[in-house]
Amino acid sequence: MKPIAIFNDFLANLKMWYRSKGTVFWAILFPILLMLIFGAIYQGQGDVTVSLHVQDLDETEISEEFISNLGERLKIETIPSDVDGDNYISDNNIRSALIIPEGFESSIQSAYLGSNESIPLSLSLDPTRESVNGIIRGVLGGTVQGWNNDISGAREVLSYQETSVTAEEFKFIDFFMPGVIGITVMTSTIYGTIFRNTKYRKWGILSKLSTTPFSRWEYLVSKMLFMTFISFFSTFLIIIVGVFVWDISVTIDVYLFIIVISTAFAFSGMGMLISRFVKEEETADSAAGAVTFPQMFLAGTFFPLEVMPSYLSSFARVLPLYYVNEGLRDSMIYEDGSGALFNTAIIFSIAAVLFVVGALATKWTE
Amino acid sequence: MTESIIDIKNLTKNYNGTKAIRGISFNVKKGEVFSMVGPNGAGKTTTVEICEGIRKPTSGSVHIFGEEFSKKSKKTRQKIGVLPQEYRSFERLTVKETLKYYSSFYETKRSIDDIIALLDLEDKKDELYMNLSGGLKQRVGVGMALVNDPELIYLDEPTTGLDPRSRRGVWDAIEILKKEGKTIFLTTHYMEEAEFLADRIAIMHQGKIAAKGCLDDLIHGHGGHYTVLLHGFDPKNVNLLGKEPKIDTNGTVSVKVKNPTEISKILQKVIKNDLKFANLEVKRTNLEEVFMNVTGTTIEEGDAA
Ligand SMILES: Nc1ncnc2c1ncn2[C@@H]1O[C@H](COP(=O)(O)OP(=O)(O)O)[C@@H](O)[C@H]1O
Ligand SMILES: [Mg+2]
Repeated sequence: MKPIAIFNDFLANLKMWYRSKGTVFWAILFPILLMLIFGAIYQGQGDVTVSLHVQDLDETEISEEFISNLGERLKIETIPSDVDGDNYISDNNIRSALIIPEGFESSIQSAYLGSNESIPLSLSLDPTRESVNGIIRGVLGGTVQGWNNDISGAREVLSYQETSVTAEEFKFIDFFMPGVIGITVMTSTIYGTIFRNTKYRKWGILSKLSTTPFSRWEYLVSKMLFMTFISFFSTFLIIIVGVFVWDISVTIDVYLFIIVISTAFAFSGMGMLISRFVKEEETADSAAGAVTFPQMFLAGTFFPLEVMPSYLSSFARVLPLYYVNEGLRDSMIYEDGSGALFNTAIIFSIAAVLFVVGALATKWTE
Repeated sequence: MTESIIDIKNLTKNYNGTKAIRGISFNVKKGEVFSMVGPNGAGKTTTVEICEGIRKPTSGSVHIFGEEFSKKSKKTRQKIGVLPQEYRSFERLTVKETLKYYSSFYETKRSIDDIIALLDLEDKKDELYMNLSGGLKQRVGVGMALVNDPELIYLDEPTTGLDPRSRRGVWDAIEILKKEGKTIFLTTHYMEEAEFLADRIAIMHQGKIAAKGCLDDLIHGHGGHYTVLLHGFDPKNVNLLGKEPKIDTNGTVSVKVKNPTEISKILQKVIKNDLKFANLEVKRTNLEEVFMNVTGTTIEEGDAA
């Protein structure tokens, strides 16, 4: 192994990559467009204005006034006063709720008269939605402070206690973003590998390389470093759009890294295997399309497997991209450690097999 | 006798069923330009690729720099430079980047600037390969075979498909390398190219070497002669020329002779009898005719076969 030769090959690939419009489209523009377009289409289904569920156990004029103060800046949804608040919140997957206790009005009245009474409100928030929570806390905190000033000139009469709730419901974009990472890494590695292998063989570049001291293994190492680099580049680009445009709360852990690397290796291996059978440059495109398109639409990128007929969803389970999507969702979005571990293990094994078979199938000379 | 850089004995190569090479032997000596000429499918590329270590021979022995050459011979790979047939390089690297890329693989390096100057690529060095003309691309191809300052250079049909001017550019580069003392194994299906550049020539036909040697020897050995052509000559006077002249449909009279003395004799007869003619031409047998004599076909007919 000569690191300098590997580094040079890597650098040459990078130059060719950013000079080529096609690859830049697939790795940069395509995922950004998907994120923006699909995010916008499904935006209406998520929270546009920040909403807060409120249960008013006091049911008095004062409590209503307090709620209407909050309603100036938040969308208020009502929780019936005759149900158990905590159960209702978890049963209905409510992600932000405020409970106003009974005796709210009378406590405020006695506070006016100088009693030392304090009134705790209870606020429940889903910790995975930090930015939304910030808005709610800001509005509630401001309102509470305003009331306290009016009542007693600063003494803390009203206060709120916060507890966290986790709701199972996610927005479409939360579901979609890991899928975009999956298809982007898949398409850039499969297309890249098939095109490179077929062209370089046809053009005599592989023959030429085989007459130099640069070895097939050095070449492979450099290509994989490059593919991994590009994969992470796209992944972080997508995450940035997700976080800053769609406010997705993303967890970045070791699973993300293993899954992205495995995906790059799995699909490069698949690409190498396919290019063994693709003789002409012109057929490279359709061969790459034939393996990427079904995965794109069936492996649960655009919609969950649950909405598909059962024969299609069982087919999805043989597609490597399915495990990539699931693993990424478990680790980045749902924070489901055991799910992430399971899917990571599967995609890692698929990658090991495909890559080894693909590498062995790739020959420079007869 | 000079040292053999390439030494091939009884080489054969079968591609599942097709006998591409049917037992050939030849050697390439240090410092010479050795050219293999022949039509498409004659087996030139197969032979070159075996010498480069890209393909395995079916039988026979292949020695390069005196060593049995297998694909694994890294030492040999440091000393050879290769331009594959119909080579196309990375589209989106510049001329200079391409040369640097290949250069990074070798221990010995020739300066990139030197190669660029030698191939007259100064103006184009920062141009992307994809934007170059065919002739320039081939010169870059020759350039990338020089990055390790190789002792032995393989050029497989370096000028096929080029216009005459671009072809000249590639020839100039090969001539300079020849002057530098490089050993060059050149294949071509242009007879003029071999005539112009080669020290020794092997005529390849249907997987066999039909004839080999230096140009003079080939011409001598295979119907070497001169043809004296008299245009606008009065056909009634042909018997005054001696020999047996031929008259073609245009009325041009041609006489075949063995050597320059016989040419003088014909001219003397023309002068003595005060014979009139419009134009006189003397043609020497060329490689094309040698090829026809040894293979029984022209190179174009060979291509079609
Ligand atoms: N990879 C291959 N597989 C099968 N047959 C081949 C292969 N390469 C060349 N041939 C056959 O071998 C013969 C010699 O080809 P080649 O060496 O390319 O000749 P040339 O370079 O003189 O045109 C031809 O008949 C060609 O069809
Ligand atoms: Mg050839």
